[in-house]
Amino acid sequence: MSKRLHWIIFGLFSLIPGLSQAQEDPVPRDSTGFYEFLKSQREVPGLSYRYIFSEKGITLAYRSDSLFSLSKTDSGYVSKPFADFSWIDELQQQLVVDSLMYQIQLELYSQPKSIEVAQEYLSDLIGKGDYLVKVQEDLPDVDLVSLAAKMPYLPVQKFKLKFMSDYRLLAVTLIIVFFFIASAAMIISMLVMKANKIKREALQDEYEGIIIEPLTTLLFEKGVKDIMAMDEAEIHSFFPKNLLVKELYQHVLIDRIIGLNKKMKGEFKEKLKALYKKLELDKVSIKSLHHRKWDRVTMGLVQINEMDLIEALPEVKKFTNSSNFHIRSRAVSALLNLSEHVDFKALRDQTYPLSLWQQMNYLRIIRFVGLHKDLNFETLLDSKNQSIRVFAIKLVRILGRVDMIDRLISYEETASDEEKIEILETYATVGAHMESRFINVCLRSSNPSVAAAAAKAAAVIGDADSEEILLDLLQSETDFRRKRSFLRSLYKLNKEKFEMVTSGDSSSDLLEIRNHILDPMLQDV
Amino acid sequence: MYSFLFFLLLEIFGLMFLILSFSVILIYLILMVLSALEMRDFLRKNSFADYGDIITSPITPGVSILAPAYNEGQNIVQNAQSLLSLHYGKFEVILINDGSKDDTLEKLISSFELEKTNYAYHPEIETKAVRGIYRSKNMSFRRLTVIDKENGGKADALNTGINIASLEILACIDVDCILSSDSISRMVRPFMEETNRKVIAVGGVVGIANNCDVKDGTVTTYNVPETVLGKFQVIEYFRAFLMGRMAWSRVNGLMLISGAFGFFRKDLVRAVGGYFPKTVGEDMELVVRMRRYMYEQKIPHKVSFVPDPLCWTEVPEDQKVLSRQRNRWMRGTIETLQLHQALGLNPKYGIVGMISYPFWSVFEKFAPIIEASGIIYTITLLAIGDFSAIYFFALLVMMYLLSLLVSSFSVLYEQIAFNHYKEKKDLRKLIWMILTEPFVIHPKVVYWGILGHIDFIKGKGGWGAMIRTGFKKAEDKRNLAEQSTT
Repeated sequence: MSKRLHWIIFGLFSLIPGLSQAQEDPVPRDSTGFYEFLKSQREVPGLSYRYIFSEKGITLAYRSDSLFSLSKTDSGYVSKPFADFSWIDELQQQLVVDSLMYQIQLELYSQPKSIEVAQEYLSDLIGKGDYLVKVQEDLPDVDLVSLAAKMPYLPVQKFKLKFMSDYRLLAVTLIIVFFFIASAAMIISMLVMKANKIKREALQDEYEGIIIEPLTTLLFEKGVKDIMAMDEAEIHSFFPKNLLVKELYQHVLIDRIIGLNKKMKGEFKEKLKALYKKLELDKVSIKSLHHRKWDRVTMGLVQINEMDLIEALPEVKKFTNSSNFHIRSRAVSALLNLSEHVDFKALRDQTYPLSLWQQMNYLRIIRFVGLHKDLNFETLLDSKNQSIRVFAIKLVRILGRVDMIDRLISYEETASDEEKIEILETYATVGAHMESRFINVCLRSSNPSVAAAAAKAAAVIGDADSEEILLDLLQSETDFRRKRSFLRSLYKLNKEKFEMVTSGDSSSDLLEIRNHILDPMLQDV
Repeated sequence: MYSFLFFLLLEIFGLMFLILSFSVILIYLILMVLSALEMRDFLRKNSFADYGDIITSPITPGVSILAPAYNEGQNIVQNAQSLLSLHYGKFEVILINDGSKDDTLEKLISSFELEKTNYAYHPEIETKAVRGIYRSKNMSFRRLTVIDKENGGKADALNTGINIASLEILACIDVDCILSSDSISRMVRPFMEETNRKVIAVGGVVGIANNCDVKDGTVTTYNVPETVLGKFQVIEYFRAFLMGRMAWSRVNGLMLISGAFGFFRKDLVRAVGGYFPKTVGEDMELVVRMRRYMYEQKIPHKVSFVPDPLCWTEVPEDQKVLSRQRNRWMRGTIETLQLHQALGLNPKYGIVGMISYPFWSVFEKFAPIIEASGIIYTITLLAIGDFSAIYFFALLVMMYLLSLLVSSFSVLYEQIAFNHYKEKKDLRKLIWMILTEPFVIHPKVVYWGILGHIDFIKGKGGWGAMIRTGFKKAEDKRNLAEQSTT
């Protein structure tokens, strides 16, 4: 506030013209000084002077002198007006030599004025900026020509100085230069990128064309053992050595093999995996894990997972807690998929929150490996990471693992609200009727989300106590949404009690909710 | 004295324009680099994304699609069918008939076998009266809910939808938009990838459907619109979506999600009180208020952006309609910035307060005023004989080249990332548009922007006193219902 006040005061002071005019007046107030000042200025717009003579002593020669051009007045003579004040000294000298008595009369726009009026007039002109005071130039004592001769000749000196002194032009020039450099760099880089992309795509198409035939031959004409038994020369007869060393060729080959592996089944899958190793593409995949670009590392992890490269698992483990979302997601996926006894430890120890996207992908893998491996994901409930524990509870529900309900029961006490919501949903889904006690406790939770989840679960597995609690809650609940949720649960638990509560009640809220619940078109809303 | 002040002002203006020109160039170059990096990363990430499970997985969040309709009788049935046929597991479609004067509701009732329900509507967010909520007995349309309400504008209609939405994510769309069948899956992905920072909203690209071939709810062939205004908007949309929003998304500074296609977290939208119906820029205002709320609650958050082409709309090709739209956008921007002045240069609001808000204030809100001032400044210099031709033409050429560079880059991005306009004649048309736009269309856009300022000052549309005062907190909007009735 005080800072703003300072600015306001500063602004007011600078805007008051009187204050600005109170600067030092350059016009001298004494007559001698004033004439000296006028002489230094030579001419002042509107200001002139005349010489006034008495009749006495004016000779005929003076009367006809063209310099003064005297005119007769009642009391004597008056000269013509002079505008150049620098002549005063010269004219005065002549008059002194001729011993003539005279007076100087100042005139303002041909009107005789006093010296004070002339001073005021000049001050005013200068103050308004209409007249710029000429300052006496100090001429050098030495000859300028000889001084100039000593200066070296610089042909662009003048231009350079002018250019440098115009800061705006200089700034614009600098900006233009910067702009051109930056835009040229961007355009060139984009063109290079585009050209590289086109070149890469053309090569890719070419390699794909070359690869298809030998790949088909190998898959349909050779068995797994034959492929494993092939020597280097034989392999190179299908896939030329000079091409196999090329990075792009390797990538096209990897993509094609992985693509086929996804689509094919049975022995063909085995053949492709054997070929992958025979061509040493597994080494390329494992090598990718050390690449500095995250997308290459992720690609390596995807390849390891797709081609079941179990030997790479120790390397993969290193990435399960990577700061990069994609890397750690793929590393955990590979570990869950490839480890002999589905390894949940890496997932348990992950410190980053587990996203829904990761959960969705892990669920797919877990469902798949669960078909032929034991899933002991109990360990996930011991994770320090809440999101992992929540995922574990979801797994119990989605995989229908009733055998893990006891583990959940022992976990209820320490569970956070978010976990309680998941547990409640799980109990309702798997039909854990013995857990109505937990539901009844949660119904009285101070967290509305937990209470709502408990009400939902109570609708499926609640007991007589749940009904009483719901009736009790309905008495005190003011939130419409929660009231609706409690009543819906009560309706599903005990229709008689629901009728009793709603039909006899005149409260418009309860009637509205009753009609809503009983509307067959709103069963799921 | 006064002539001194006049020349001093001229000097200050000259310096100001110089600094602004430099800032514009620097900012747009930075935006170009940021958007290029974001696009590169997006394409890389996309190569690992597998959308196969998203439709069937029990883990995926549910989506409530909210589509307000006003006098849409002509196409409403087709639009609703298109929304109901989207490929996603858990979703509902809520159509809000905002007091249409035509047969919108009747057509919906007859086409989808709708019946009025006994829905107990108790709004959490204050809205205009609801006349009825309709659902169908036909199981094929079990996902559809139609709300019939009194007219209250788009924001009010969306708020009604928010009040009855039952799923976690809200997809707020314009009912006449064409959505790609996988649009929900792709837009939901950023919410599902959330780890440390809460994803509060996701914006998508809105493509231009004018003159394009549409089949089964998807644009199959892209053609550049025939009119100059249509072509101009193609370039403008590229600049806005593929450059501007990608760049802001990179630094988590997004303040705007298109009202035609935006996804929001329902619990948060409800927490901040839904859309603000008294502003014409309700889409931007909601995003800013949500972000403000998150900063005030000190919750790390993010507004994401998906550049995949998933939504298309018809843009106005008539000058009158376009000028009204631009006028409205400008007023919306001014109103939002006024309502949330507390964000401006306030480090408490992170990148939004320190960078996005000042950027919007100077380069969006005041851009037309600055440009008009530049013209007046140049005329003044000409009048007093202090005009430097070199200086003027250097600046002019530079700004023209910048415009060409920015537009060309946005077209180039589109070509590299999506390559929709495959015909050479289309590209030629776009290039010609890029070359002529600064002289042919831009002055009009500036003029419409100035009209927007004038209309805002006159108090047209907005909610004068409230907007001038602004919100003291993000949740303040919740109390507005009381204020508006008193």
